[in-house]
Amino acid sequence: MTSVAPPPPKTGLTASVRGIAWYTVLIGISIVFVAPLVWMLLTSLKTTGEATRVPPAWLPEDPSTRAYDTIFAGNTQTPVLRWFLNSMVAAVGQALLVLVIASMAAYALARMQFRGRNVIFALIIGTLFVPGFVMLIPNFLMVDRLGWLDTLWALIVPGAASAFGVFFLRQFFSTLPRELEEAALIEGANAWQIFTKVILPLSKPALATLTVIAFLTNWNDFIWPVYVLFSPENLTLPPGLATLQGAYTTDYPVIMAGAALASIPVLILFVICQRYIIEGVSRSGLKG
Amino acid sequence: MSNHLSRRGLLGLGVGAGGAVLLSACGNDGPNPVVNGGGSNAEPAATSYTGPNVALTFWNGFTGGDGPVMKSLVEKFNAANPNIKVTMNVYEWADYYQKVPGAVSTGNGPDLGIMHVEQVATNAARGVVLPLDDLAASLQLKEEDFSPPVWRAGVYNNKRYAIPLDVHPLGMFYNKKVMESAGLDPEKPPTNNDEYMAALEKLKAKKIQGHWASPFPFTGVLQFHALNWQFGGQTFDEGATKAQFAEDAGVKALTWLVDLVKKGYSPKNVAQDADAIALQNGKAAFNWNGIWNINTLKAVKGLEWGVSALPQIGTQKAAWAGSHNFVQFKQKTTDQNKLTAGKVFINYISQQSIEWAKGGQVPARKEVRDSPEFAALKEQAAIGSQIDNLHFPPSVPGIADAMATIDTAVNEAILGRKEPAKALSDAATKADQILEQNRKKYGG
Amino acid sequence: MAATQTVTQTQAAAAETNASPRRRGPGLTPYLFLLPYVAVFTTFTLVPAVYGLWISLHDWDYLLPGKPFVGLANYGALLDSASPVFDFFWSSMQATGIFTVTSVPLLVVVPLGVALLLNRAFPGRTLFRAVYFAPYVLGVAVIGLLWRFLLDPNLGMVNAMLGAVGLPADTPWITALPWAWISLVGVTVWWTLGFNAVIYLAGLQDIPAELYDAARVDGAGRWAEFRNVTLPGLRPVLVFVIINTILASANMFGQSYLITQGAPGVETRTAIMYIADEGLRSYRMGSAAAMSYVLTLGLMLISVIVFRLFREKD
Repeated sequence: MTSVAPPPPKTGLTASVRGIAWYTVLIGISIVFVAPLVWMLLTSLKTTGEATRVPPAWLPEDPSTRAYDTIFAGNTQTPVLRWFLNSMVAAVGQALLVLVIASMAAYALARMQFRGRNVIFALIIGTLFVPGFVMLIPNFLMVDRLGWLDTLWALIVPGAASAFGVFFLRQFFSTLPRELEEAALIEGANAWQIFTKVILPLSKPALATLTVIAFLTNWNDFIWPVYVLFSPENLTLPPGLATLQGAYTTDYPVIMAGAALASIPVLILFVICQRYIIEGVSRSGLKG
Repeated sequence: MSNHLSRRGLLGLGVGAGGAVLLSACGNDGPNPVVNGGGSNAEPAATSYTGPNVALTFWNGFTGGDGPVMKSLVEKFNAANPNIKVTMNVYEWADYYQKVPGAVSTGNGPDLGIMHVEQVATNAARGVVLPLDDLAASLQLKEEDFSPPVWRAGVYNNKRYAIPLDVHPLGMFYNKKVMESAGLDPEKPPTNNDEYMAALEKLKAKKIQGHWASPFPFTGVLQFHALNWQFGGQTFDEGATKAQFAEDAGVKALTWLVDLVKKGYSPKNVAQDADAIALQNGKAAFNWNGIWNINTLKAVKGLEWGVSALPQIGTQKAAWAGSHNFVQFKQKTTDQNKLTAGKVFINYISQQSIEWAKGGQVPARKEVRDSPEFAALKEQAAIGSQIDNLHFPPSVPGIADAMATIDTAVNEAILGRKEPAKALSDAATKADQILEQNRKKYGG
Repeated sequence: MAATQTVTQTQAAAAETNASPRRRGPGLTPYLFLLPYVAVFTTFTLVPAVYGLWISLHDWDYLLPGKPFVGLANYGALLDSASPVFDFFWSSMQATGIFTVTSVPLLVVVPLGVALLLNRAFPGRTLFRAVYFAPYVLGVAVIGLLWRFLLDPNLGMVNAMLGAVGLPADTPWITALPWAWISLVGVTVWWTLGFNAVIYLAGLQDIPAELYDAARVDGAGRWAEFRNVTLPGLRPVLVFVIINTILASANMFGQSYLITQGAPGVETRTAIMYIADEGLRSYRMGSAAAMSYVLTLGLMLISVIVFRLFREKD
């Protein structure tokens, strides 16, 4: 016996109206979200004069691929494909490293009892509050000591030490029901087996999310590479694309074109990882 | 022994301030014939490097359109000097200045580079760049070969650390069509305050805001500096112990800019780049912008524009300028051959700087500036005519930190948040504190 | 039934004997799990962070030979109103404070709403998720430039479009207060909403559907469902999002640097903008480090409060 309102009808006029209202709101907000990006893409096809025209125009009158041509001019000073590859190796490398070491540490901190657990966790979280740039010069000196200057190692390893990944995964692991681990324990599994066969599969949404975030953070980093990379062919995309800019002038089409190109791999990665982020739905049934 | 070796290296270029040296590139490194004579009538000091093959790295911030121009000069040099191979790396200027000190200190730095003149003292004090007195001496480079202000600006602690390549001053860019539409003669841009204000009035009558006042470093603060000097003021005193931009001249300068907004010759809230964009779109008539704007405007289809020296608003002529300078970087181990070869490179590019000028610069070297080829570059020549009226910041480490206070003052005043006198005096107080802090840090 | 019971009892007994060595103590296992991370962490985060404290006690420029020890002078300068850094530091802290207080609630609540919406199954869901996340794919350098241009008070697209529909077309979005703050917060929400939304989405997956079914059977409406099932289930993730968002907002400098350039005056110059300037442009790393640790202290205090508020009540 219920005294609450019945669930909304799944058919009929009310449902259609709700459906339309629903989509209208979603699409409306989406337009606001996407409009600047569309403008960005269209601007990459304009000439510099058009890009700064007043009143501002959406469409290029005279679409030109000048900006893209500039980027792909392909001379030895601006090896864009090489930069792209460097960025890819660095971002994938760091994302993988983060996934492996942060998940292990996060599991220990979330689920295991051991001496010093709280102190270690507090220490790790504590460093999150220290502004990153304080560590810039000390890390630079350390990377020099290790002989990693001007190599991709300098881009992969130091950043993987951020407390973000550990904090993130520890929170997620702590939401997992303990019964599954206990069942596995009863069956005689050791910690590593529980970790790999029980925890990780259950955490696909969190792991997929962290993959995207770690990849993206590394991909768009434009400060650290300035300090540790020197040779033009070792640069990553952000500092590399910056060299296509005029020294005192802003070349909007080239900037937008570079940004458009740089965003493609990330969007692809996101769409792929989406599958894992929503996978949990099939496990726990539809919500809504 | 080492004394002898270093003298031999110097012999390759010629020793002493008294003689011009002519070397043959025949590959032996014995002593070379010394040709006497000096002064401006002698043959230009042609030098070449006769040591073993060396590879030099040359870093600069000439991104975008400037890069290829310098690159081709480097290639010409490499062709003319088979035993020197110079590779050029280009970074965005902001990245470059962050990167270079760390690179140099870890032994990853380049041999040669370009720096803006106001950065030289700081880098000299931090041990990033090497003194170049012997270069200047052996090449007989003197103040008269350049222009006194820019030549003097490269000296820190009585040592020379920089050889000027170019100056990039402000010029007054004007939109000819807009001028015509207000009844102004597009071939006769205003040259003094009366003409300028009259022109702005005429434009205002046609509902055109003639001079957009920018509250940002590019271009508002640059314009402030020019006006401050025009009214007879200084930024700092001789030894940079005190800020002087808040005195009468500075207040007049900033008030003039603020009045542009008050009198309606400029809109309020001009954002970064808006003043330059306005000119390109026919929304403004005048834009005091750097020489780099030449290439930007050339790329705008259908724009009829011209550039002249800044009008004299104050009691004397003056303009702001920056200057690109050659520097040599400290290395972990001194390689005399590389140092020598580097000096040859610097001299060569400096003498070839007409090519550099074609890319939109004013050469620092007087003989290049006075040449007919430069006069043929109308726009550059127009801006270059101000060469005797340029001012540079004092060569003191950390001077840029103190100058940053001016950015805030100009911003507050033009955005109408503070009166010019107050904005400047607040900034001057801060600047004095910073100057003192820097004195303690860098010594002397 | 009995057979199962016996089996279970046997299993339990086996578990007892098998598990008891583990029950007696965790042994080295936790430390082994932690080792790889701690190795990298110590080298590249902990040591620099502690070294930074050491730097803050000196007048430190890594290229100058003398790095004189100055004790707590750098910290003292932050409390001495006559020092060159006093007003700049505190006005920059105020800017950071304003931005954090105004942006964090929006960045915590709105993405949650979006995540809840996008958690339901409907056609085109993946596309919409990509749409909300897309801005974050771009780096701050690009979006800063993009929005600076769009928000130009005289020439930008935003004012042009507002004018086209009859609204005022001269709002000084990036050159006057309070508009500059509205612009900065607005751009940040646009840019990073997808980031928090995606984290919430992942968190929502971990809430078992059975709890929702149970709530519905009990006659709970949408709101009650949210309060009694969703929020508690999201608690650890919520803590993460809140703390991370506070940190991200407190560390904001790219948007200020590119969109408003710290203007008008230095009103929107955030703490990190000023600190980075002090340390990396003026080469006064000791002073910058001291400022950083004062900021750190403030953030830690706030986070302790957040942790306390959201502590598990069991």
